[in-house]
Amino acid sequence: MASVQPAPSRDQMFNQRLPFVIIGMVIASVLLVFKLVSFQQLSLDVVNELRPDYNRTVNLAAARGLIYDQSGQRLAVNTLEYRVGLSPNLVANPQRTATQLAGILNLDELTVYQATTSDKTWELLAAPVSAEVGQQIEQLKQDGLTALTIEKIPRRSYPQGALAAQVLGFVGGELQGYYGVEGKFQDQLTGRPRTEVVSNIPFDVPSEQEADKGSDIYLTLDRDIQFLIESQLLSAVQSTGAKSGTIIVMNPRSGDILGLANYPSYDPNDPLAVKDTLWKDTAISNEYEPGSVMKVVTVAAALDKGTITPNWTYNDQAVLDMAGIKVQNWDRQAHGVVDTTNVLVQSLNVGAATISLAMGPTDYYAYMSKFGFGKLTGVNLEGEASGTMHVPGDSDWSESNLLTNAYGQGVAVTPLQMITAVSAIANDGLMMQPNIVAKIVNNNGQVNVAQPIALGRPITQDTAHTVRDMMVAVVQNGLDDGAQLPGYTVAGKTGTAEIPVPLGYKQDAWIMSFIGFLPADDPQVIVLIKLDEPTTGRWASQVVAPVFRQLAQRLVVLMEIPPDAVRLALKAEGAAASGQGG
Amino acid sequence: MNQIQHALRDRPWRLQRQAVALVALGIFIAIFIGALYLAQSASVATLGRQLEELITRRNQLEQQNEQLREDIAELRSVPRLLARAQELGFEPAAENQIEYLYVPDYNPNREPVTAASTEQTQNLPVYDESFVGWVQQQWDNLAQQFQGFSGGGS
Repeated sequence: MASVQPAPSRDQMFNQRLPFVIIGMVIASVLLVFKLVSFQQLSLDVVNELRPDYNRTVNLAAARGLIYDQSGQRLAVNTLEYRVGLSPNLVANPQRTATQLAGILNLDELTVYQATTSDKTWELLAAPVSAEVGQQIEQLKQDGLTALTIEKIPRRSYPQGALAAQVLGFVGGELQGYYGVEGKFQDQLTGRPRTEVVSNIPFDVPSEQEADKGSDIYLTLDRDIQFLIESQLLSAVQSTGAKSGTIIVMNPRSGDILGLANYPSYDPNDPLAVKDTLWKDTAISNEYEPGSVMKVVTVAAALDKGTITPNWTYNDQAVLDMAGIKVQNWDRQAHGVVDTTNVLVQSLNVGAATISLAMGPTDYYAYMSKFGFGKLTGVNLEGEASGTMHVPGDSDWSESNLLTNAYGQGVAVTPLQMITAVSAIANDGLMMQPNIVAKIVNNNGQVNVAQPIALGRPITQDTAHTVRDMMVAVVQNGLDDGAQLPGYTVAGKTGTAEIPVPLGYKQDAWIMSFIGFLPADDPQVIVLIKLDEPTTGRWASQVVAPVFRQLAQRLVVLMEIPPDAVRLALKAEGAAASGQGG
Repeated sequence: MNQIQHALRDRPWRLQRQAVALVALGIFIAIFIGALYLAQSASVATLGRQLEELITRRNQLEQQNEQLREDIAELRSVPRLLARAQELGFEPAAENQIEYLYVPDYNPNREPVTAASTEQTQNLPVYDESFVGWVQQQWDNLAQQFQGFSGGGS
């Protein structure tokens, strides 16, 4: 008979089971801790497998620096456009998607529908689209249309349109600047793009990723003056039938370019709409024979050298037969005994050639070199040409060059070179380097202000004043009286030049120009106007001098230059006040 | 001593229970620290996410600003201003309509005067965190997360 064992008590049962429960809990806890640790610390195999995806390399494009005029008006800014595409295999409802997208992108619904049902992995829908449309697409994507891809395309924008296009240049693919300031200051404007390694792990705090923005550039250009000269140039070209033209406005004291306009021009927002020849800034790259404007430089050189004096005279017999050529006056007339001033006032080729002949080639070309002919001015714009001035020793120089160069033939200059040379006369003999940049502000806010640079002193102050007075006489008593501006003393000189072609000169076509500055006794502005092949007159004094007057009328208002009487009275009042104060 | 030996002989599971209790305590501490670490990591990840969103938002706002500045520049272009001024009855001033005045000590070519920058003292947050406070904060975060997991919150 089997013995019956007593049933274990409650305590005994508890004591027997407790270890199992505890062991179970311990195992569960250990597993929990193990999972906790393994969750934080991935196994080596997994780490190695994921390592390539741990980080990604991001190219951070630097924002291009902005371009402003001297008063802080924006001339070039950055904006965004978008490229919109979609992955057809992720589109749930092609019909509805096509309807939505066609409306926003202004596309044919059928075309969009075909894209949404395409077999391709990705379809381009539209590019470029504006920022507004891009934001609508972005919203659509956030609302659940995940098949959409939207890619930002940085774009350079010129909010003033075609204003100062050839000064600014433009930005092409890969944000590379071409021509003008954009091309010349590419390195400063483009900033420093960076490559950053960014973690894909969500637990990592994102680092502040930002490339170094490009420097902002403030130009010496005045937007209002630029607009004025562009309007005047267009009007002059239309009214004179000229094919093209250039106007430069400069401060002769500092060399600062206040305005620079060429016709024809283009819109830098769409540079590909025109031929690439229009991209060049013709004011600094196109060479031309300056004609009689050169006479002021010849006279200045001879006076400074002491070859002639203001009272010097010669007997003008209409023709100078020397060095195998016959130099003739514009009117083919003999003018008898003529002094230095009247060589300019009557714009006599024979007189200018006589003077350069008297100087001799060595001195004459030494002065031409001092005035910067045949050399770059060093203006901070891309594409400057140096001009051509043959000198003794060159294979293509002959003695006849000495005669013709004196009145601006057989020498090629750029408009900027010519105005720079004459500005030395306006600036008491000191020739300043033309400059388009007022200051550069870099990414750290550091400001680099451009300082005026003197290219040299080709003539003395006395000589400069003497020639200046002669140029005043040219406008007051001479052929260029059309340039007179009531109330102001203007110094100036016109030039009518023939256009060289491979076999001589072009028939019935001229380049007409005028360079003038005011107020003559304290020049604040110097202006060059050049019209190519105008058809409404034979001489620059008839065609270009009046254009200068119209331009100067507005210019003195914009630049707040008082009439001479007012200015001198105010000056006297100021002197008296400071005298009393002292 | 005899009493302890007697007690252990009488109830041997007491020794086991103590050992198990120690192990359990160790495990509890490990779990607690692990949980704190997890909470910290989750907190950092959340902050990182928020930071990313803020950076994205900032970039968007900068782009919008840039777009607005371009719009303003277009609206302030000379032809538009000229047309608008003419609509309002203005006309370009002629030279003889301008009156010039002598202003003592006025130099028209002076450097532009800019307002002097006022130096601001930056109020940095006071560091007054204690270890106990930090543990409490982590515990609160953990509790908040668990509430979030369980769908609670009210």
